[in-house]
Amino acid sequence: MPLPAEAHHKKIVVVLPVYNEGPVIRQVIISLLKIVPTIIVVDDGSTVPVIKQLHGLPVVLLQHRVNLGQGAALQTGLTYARKLNADIAITFDADGQHNEEDIKSLIAPIITNEADVVLGSRFLPDSVSIVPFTKRFILQFARIINFLFSGVLLTDAHNGLRALNRAALEKINLTENRMAHASEFLFEMKIHKLRCKEIPVHIRYTDYSIQKGQKSRDSIKVLFDLLLHKLFK
Amino acid sequence: MSGIQLVLVTGFIFIGLYFVTRLKKRLLDIVLLFAMIACGIVFALRPDITNVIARELGVGRGADLIFYISILLFWFVSLKLYARIRKLEQQVTSIIREGAITNAMEITDLDAETFQ
Repeated sequence: MPLPAEAHHKKIVVVLPVYNEGPVIRQVIISLLKIVPTIIVVDDGSTVPVIKQLHGLPVVLLQHRVNLGQGAALQTGLTYARKLNADIAITFDADGQHNEEDIKSLIAPIITNEADVVLGSRFLPDSVSIVPFTKRFILQFARIINFLFSGVLLTDAHNGLRALNRAALEKINLTENRMAHASEFLFEMKIHKLRCKEIPVHIRYTDYSIQKGQKSRDSIKVLFDLLLHKLFK
Repeated sequence: MSGIQLVLVTGFIFIGLYFVTRLKKRLLDIVLLFAMIACGIVFALRPDITNVIARELGVGRGADLIFYISILLFWFVSLKLYARIRKLEQQVTSIIREGAITNAMEITDLDAETFQ
């Protein structure tokens, strides 16, 4: 489905951080290209460089020489989007769990200038995501931790599907290289007083995306990174 | 001087010498270091002093007091090291990010050879 007419004179880019992704990456890019013309792929030091899988796909490729983490890859992509003078930047996961059709509703509040940052949520009434039980439990815990740290209470946590307008793109700067970036994103939103809106999204939990995604035990690591972040800021 | 005293005192002196050669100009660090080394040597030679201090502080034995202080020092040093690692990480990140952005490529511009 194409984007609404108001979106056509906006420069929209998708930032797609990639690390050791399988053939699914091609599928993800092809379906994204039907909706958004500019895709910034950030290869976060994959063992087999992702360039080998991008044959013939019109994307921009940024390559980290060593693996730094998803947060670092996202920030590299966002910095580049800034350089491209993008009006709207969308962060998307490369493992096929996000639905490209959600982009339309994701950018709507930015086009109508209701919000600076739009976040996807799996737990709003209209979301059609079937979240596995332990994941649901951990995410509830995570959103409370995020609230305690950032003062922003959301219905979801660590959902990688987001849209940023120009102002947010200029201001948000992620320094957490690994998974704690998702919480840092909220701190940055709060510090820069950006207006935020959540919209329901559809997350596909395939065997592949579950195996690629964060494990429950990683939440301890994220918490530790968050404490250090607050301690050394 | 008993065997353990000899070992500890020599150890302290070597640590002191090593750090002095490294931190030539950082006065505060040197003063702190000397205070700690001096305490170490005094406590090694006169362990009974630690017992007196320990009892004053409500700890049974001098050895226990030293142990508790070591734990605190260990945490302090770990956090200092973490801070240093994070700083290094940020520097590495900015270098790699800069490289990635200057070498950005548009895939359509590439010829087929790149994909072989």
